[in-house]
Amino acid sequence: MSNEKHDGGCLCGAVRYEVTGPIDRIAHCHCSMCRGSAGAPVVTFFVVEASRFRFTQGTPRIYRSSRDAERRFCGTCGTQLTFASRRSPDYVDVTLASLDHPERHAPKHHVWTSAQLPWLKLDEHLPGYPEFTPTDKL
Amino acid sequence: MSDGRFPIEGGCFCGAIRFRVKGPIKGVVHCHCRMCQRSGGASHMTWVTLAKADFDLLQGRITQFCSSEHGERGFCAACGTPLTFWSRHAAEDLDVTVGSFDYPEMFRPQRHIYVSSRLPWLRLDEGLPEHDTQSNGTESTN
Repeated sequence: MSNEKHDGGCLCGAVRYEVTGPIDRIAHCHCSMCRGSAGAPVVTFFVVEASRFRFTQGTPRIYRSSRDAERRFCGTCGTQLTFASRRSPDYVDVTLASLDHPERHAPKHHVWTSAQLPWLKLDEHLPGYPEFTPTDKL
Repeated sequence: MSDGRFPIEGGCFCGAIRFRVKGPIKGVVHCHCRMCQRSGGASHMTWVTLAKADFDLLQGRITQFCSSEHGERGFCAACGTPLTFWSRHAAEDLDVTVGSFDYPEMFRPQRHIYVSSRLPWLRLDEGLPEHDTQSNGTESTN
């Protein structure tokens, strides 16, 4: 595993995390649940093995958004941090903009374009998928 | 932008907080400031600006986080959804996150603000006017 590390955290600084190794699975998610939880028209996530992600400071609050899924956020400032599902327990999705340096990591594709807002013209040069991305395309 | 579809409603992801906007809307902007990026975890935040007096809280309580000396960001303490932004510099107005409305598709963005901190890889609504601070020329309201 690479020695590279990436730090991130919430807006108020109460919760901090660290990612070990590369960040290369990055997607814009247009699903209505991401939109509703972030308040934004789209949310950009990166996916990492759970073993490469750890909280280093503070304890995020957990909202169970479905039977299988939980979203972690900062209880002090509301920043959306992670999404995890029992369907893929070995991975965690992390909000890209909670990284200290999101500018270093460009998204690779769109997922859930079937729910994309009609006025949103976003990174149209990237491939998009109506629902999930086939794992082999990540 | 008063088009007869008001009042309109919205709320947080978990449903604890519900609100109603009587309208009309003053504007819709993509904000690229670093604080908006981080608080939503998204590449940018899209705000619907309205008169504060036109915003009614129907259910629940909005938790406030003071993100600067003059700015307050409201969110749901149960699910985290960012909901509102209010600044002393524009105290009569209130910004509401587009994604918290029941029908976000009705709010077409009109301009970009704080483009100096826009993520360099982001190609978003490139035909819209761009401003380095607030679109009305006032100082930062972050």
